[in-house]
Amino acid sequence: MTTLHVIAHSPFGDERLASCLRLLGPQDALLLCGDAIYALKAGTEPFAALQAANLGERLFALAEDLQARALDSQLAKAVDYPAFVELTLHHDKVNSWL
Amino acid sequence: MKFAIAVFSPAHAPSSRRALRFAEAVLAGGHEIARLFFYQDGVHSASANIVAPQDELDVAAQWRAFVSDHRLDAVVCIAAALRRGVLDDTEANRYQRPAVNLPMPWELSGLGQLHEAAQLADRLVCFGGD
Amino acid sequence: MAKSLLIISRQAPWSGPSAREALDIALAGGAFDLPLGMLFLDDGVFQLAAAQQPDAVQQKNLAANLQALPMFGVEELFACGHSLARRGLDNDALSLPVEVLDDAALTALIARFDQVVTL
Repeated sequence: MTTLHVIAHSPFGDERLASCLRLLGPQDALLLCGDAIYALKAGTEPFAALQAANLGERLFALAEDLQARALDSQLAKAVDYPAFVELTLHHDKVNSWL
Repeated sequence: MKFAIAVFSPAHAPSSRRALRFAEAVLAGGHEIARLFFYQDGVHSASANIVAPQDELDVAAQWRAFVSDHRLDAVVCIAAALRRGVLDDTEANRYQRPAVNLPMPWELSGLGQLHEAAQLADRLVCFGGD
Repeated sequence: MAKSLLIISRQAPWSGPSAREALDIALAGGAFDLPLGMLFLDDGVFQLAAAQQPDAVQQKNLAANLQALPMFGVEELFACGHSLARRGLDNDALSLPVEVLDDAALTALIARFDQVVTL
């Protein structure tokens, strides 16, 4: 079964993103929202980790959070709430890293 | 499809607002919400006593309206609520506390309701941690 | 058939009510005979350290409640090997009989459950 992982915490000084990337399955997806969006800041360690993880079409970012933080989503596909809902249905379950 | 949505953060947390926007999108997409379950600090999202600053979003009020308007099953975990001082009439009387801050449409109940919702729903989606 | 639920507990034992509240979800599910698993990950592995003295910080004994898990039918208990090693716990006796898993095994573990809650 595939999992949509959701992270909302800043990757700086927090373990969630690193742990998630270690456990991510080959067909799992990752949605970044809230302060986790900061992982998409180019030139940072978390950004390098995301690049190395090579998630391709499996990395998503909540559009409103990108916009609020004036960040580009080069690596991640921006999604709105309806697309977020669809993502949860596309995968078999959702794991939010609270 | 049926969703069970669990909220673990208070009304001022970004994740509480995000959960509400997600819940709205679930209904707008033609899906059902089997239950909303408020656990840990999520019990504060149900508090009637929140006074949001005038220039800020009143997420607690929005949750209340959302639950009422759509007649949703909205459960607040009783153990989490008591520990955090979120009480309905019955509990305020039982423990002789001076204030009631959990109004209708919220219902206090146990974790069994979270499990039941998780069993009934096609997806369990949790929000919180901030 | 009942849906299985994996509870991932990531917080240290006394960093707030999180560890206790994750355990409460497990115990409640166990009381309803639901198929559950519990995984200790990141700082959550600190819950498994032996000989802790919670009364020193005026807290309840979480270890005693954790030990109740099998009695409630929650026997699938796991800990992340990487998390244990990183926190210097990999050579210590743990307070709970958990299966220690490496990353690949953890990926497979998460994949086989119908639902997950991470606290």
